[in-house]
Amino acid sequence: MASIQLKQITKTFDKHDVIKDLNLDIEDGKFTVLVGPSGCGKTTLLRMIAGLEVQTSGQIYVGGKDVSKVAPGQRGIAMVFQNYAIYPTMSVRENIEFGLKNNKVPKAERTELVEGIAETVGLSDYLDRKPSTLSGGQRQRVALARAMVKKPAVFLMDEPLSNLDAKLRVQMRIELIELHKKLGTTFVYVTHDQVEAMSMADKIVLMNKGEIQQEAPPEVMYHTPSNAFTAQFIGVPPMNISAMSDGFSFGFRPESASLSKEKLLGAFAAHGRIVTREMLGSETIYQLKTEHGSFMIKSIDDSFRVDDEVHIAVKQDKLHFFDARQKRIAPSEPAYEQSLDLLRGRRYG
Amino acid sequence: MTQVFPIARRVLEYVLKLCLLMVFIFPFLWMISTSLQTFRETLAYPPTLVPAVPQFVNYLTALEAGPFGTYFKNSIIITLSIIVMQMVVLIPAAYGFAKYSFRGSGFLFSLVLLAFMIPGQVTFIPVYLMMADWGIGRTLLPQIIPFMTNAFGIFLLRQYFKQVPEELIEAARLDNASELKILWKLMLPMSKPALATIALFSFVSHWNDYFWPLVMTDSAAVRPLTIGIAMLRETEGISNWHVIMAGNVILVLPILLVYIFCSKQIVKAFVYSGIK
Amino acid sequence: MDKHRFMKAVLPYLLVFPAMFGIAVFVIYPVLYLGYLSFYKYNLMNPAKSKFVGLENYAAIFARDDFYKSLFNTAVYTFGTVVLTLAISLAIAVWLKRSTKLNAFVQAGIFTPHIVSIVSISLVWLWMMEPNLGFLNFALKSLGLPTSQWLQSSDTALLSVIIVSVWQGIGYYVLIIVAALQGISPSIYEAASLDNASNWKVFYKITLPMISPQLFFILIIMTIGSFKVFDTVRMMTNGGPNNATNTIVYYIYQNRTTNIGYASATGMVLMAIIGILTFVYFRMLAKKVHYQ
Repeated sequence: MASIQLKQITKTFDKHDVIKDLNLDIEDGKFTVLVGPSGCGKTTLLRMIAGLEVQTSGQIYVGGKDVSKVAPGQRGIAMVFQNYAIYPTMSVRENIEFGLKNNKVPKAERTELVEGIAETVGLSDYLDRKPSTLSGGQRQRVALARAMVKKPAVFLMDEPLSNLDAKLRVQMRIELIELHKKLGTTFVYVTHDQVEAMSMADKIVLMNKGEIQQEAPPEVMYHTPSNAFTAQFIGVPPMNISAMSDGFSFGFRPESASLSKEKLLGAFAAHGRIVTREMLGSETIYQLKTEHGSFMIKSIDDSFRVDDEVHIAVKQDKLHFFDARQKRIAPSEPAYEQSLDLLRGRRYG
Repeated sequence: MTQVFPIARRVLEYVLKLCLLMVFIFPFLWMISTSLQTFRETLAYPPTLVPAVPQFVNYLTALEAGPFGTYFKNSIIITLSIIVMQMVVLIPAAYGFAKYSFRGSGFLFSLVLLAFMIPGQVTFIPVYLMMADWGIGRTLLPQIIPFMTNAFGIFLLRQYFKQVPEELIEAARLDNASELKILWKLMLPMSKPALATIALFSFVSHWNDYFWPLVMTDSAAVRPLTIGIAMLRETEGISNWHVIMAGNVILVLPILLVYIFCSKQIVKAFVYSGIK
Repeated sequence: MDKHRFMKAVLPYLLVFPAMFGIAVFVIYPVLYLGYLSFYKYNLMNPAKSKFVGLENYAAIFARDDFYKSLFNTAVYTFGTVVLTLAISLAIAVWLKRSTKLNAFVQAGIFTPHIVSIVSISLVWLWMMEPNLGFLNFALKSLGLPTSQWLQSSDTALLSVIIVSVWQGIGYYVLIIVAALQGISPSIYEAASLDNASNWKVFYKITLPMISPQLFFILIIMTIGSFKVFDTVRMMTNGGPNNATNTIVYYIYQNRTTNIGYASATGMVLMAIIGILTFVYFRMLAKKVHYQ
């Protein structure tokens, strides 16, 4: 088990900074998810922790030890790749065993470890099969077993579920959470899928354009996003954000608005026409056209139809305000009142 | 009528295709037939297609015309040495070019392509002089070491290596495997088809080679089978076709047998070489 | 710790070193040496007595009719072999392109000569083309066609050599073209048939362009290969009759012991020709073949 510290990490590709002066502490034993749109630098960050990519400057500590110049195989790290990277010419057993062999683990111990792990992930019957005869889910397990058997201090995972079909993905998510609980090891998990991040993480690290936007547990990130990017990246559909004057803007989550045919009261209220309707079962998503722009509204009431004229309202504690630099304005800040005034001004003006 | 017509068409197609096949196979059949004829039969008109009594003695006559044991041994030593040496040289080179980016790699690889373009027919005079200078002109080495770098093989294997996903190598690095272990345990087992193609190509082209031994050798002790058979015409007289063809069968038979049994794989290997 | 980075920096050079060494010693150095020799009147018995003659060897080459004769023969041979091989193998490939047992069998048969030594091929065809006893003239006569002197007449010798080369080479090119044809997605043909395209138009507008990368590969390989033709000539005609089949490499071969400087200069010319052809082809390639 180990914590990870990244200090002043810069990574340059072709004279272009992909990541600049990044600092990050990843806590020991936590399930940390690096999430962000593609090209945000999350995978590069993970690969630098693994040692597969060398940072242009800065230091990486694993378990308090500077590993910046240590070869990937000697950092005490295991990684699960997006396409599993299973050695196609080796049997399942040889795949799992390969790292142990390279680390000169004696044969008897090796066999015991491999068979123990195979039992854990449910591969016991497949140890002598070639990977090409396995299903997607089974390959995923081989990749996991291969990582687990080395008893790494840190588990790195690069979008490990993205090649599975939707149903299996949900199942594997739960298994991974359980696995993390059982092992208690530091997990660092990269994904572009915010649902995965929300459902699995102890702590989410949201990145964009090589910079960390916010580090927080899922609930905190959802309810108090630190800026407009975070607010819109996390949550489906994303937060409605609408511009006010002076570069300020306000926003609310689709499920925060109440919806009615009658006129409603609230810190923010508007009326408009339903343009689209998406029935998802337990809830329905409406797209609304108002004079302030178009909003997505999530409601448990599915009785509204396209072209209905409706009213919406949002309570003050469900409203978010963002300043000209897209930063969220906390209710305690002086700018909060100012934003409320702006919103009222708009409503009455 | 409509039923008969397609059948007739199919029969016609079969017959025509077999005729086409005969154009390419008949000369070999005639070679075998001639090799079993008497001298008189070879002079007959119309030509003898099937000898009255197969004359296996022709083969003995051919074999006694020169030191064929030595020729045969030389061919085997030369061909096998070349294949082994080429593999030892080209595998690391292909790996280096495929999986590392290093300063000068583009330039060095362009030299490989250049070597691919410059034939032995251009370089043989200086190489011959070099071999004489080094004092190894009368050994088998001049027929072996000039082929140590198989540029085509490097090219082919490099293509193959390049298709191996980078993640596999990274996974192996995380598994603390050394670079050589990655090459040996991971890349090579995955590249068997390419390696087989390269070895086969090498075998066919060097077992069959005529030009290079012709210009490099001047004594029977170091000559390969091709030269020995080619010389039959001089030693046996140009009209002793039955003996010449017997010698020819001896030269062709090993390769032909291999081809008959592995034609599928061999054809595949050659196609592979041409599409890449 | 830094051993790791050092190894990482040096390893690729170590990996390619043996191969590069081989190329340096057996390709690059000999080419330079060849250039050097081409400026000398080389004395094989006593190299110290070799004399620098400048461009004299080159001047001699371009002043001698037998060089032009061999150059002309090589060009005719190359042109004939390339055109005939391309046309015939394309036709056969189109005929055999469907993946059936019979077609695979015929392809494998056609390919046989390709893996057999040119020595054997030459001996077999020498015998086949024997004017009085050979099978070929017998077959022609049986069909009521005129016979030929084949390799023994200066009118037909070069053509005979071309026929043998084409016969040997076709199998390989049929295989490659068939593979290329089978690689074309059937949906393209389906789209074309929905667009009501005629067979000829489909072939000309779709098939041919789609396999042009392979055709181009064949063109390069064959042109370069044909320019260094030697084995068939040496085995079947020794350049005769009356120099009718003398080619550049055979010409170099003839002079290799008696006049090393001159032969070397001819080798340089051959290399230049191959180089120019390759260059021209690749320029064409960059412009024309862009379908995949």
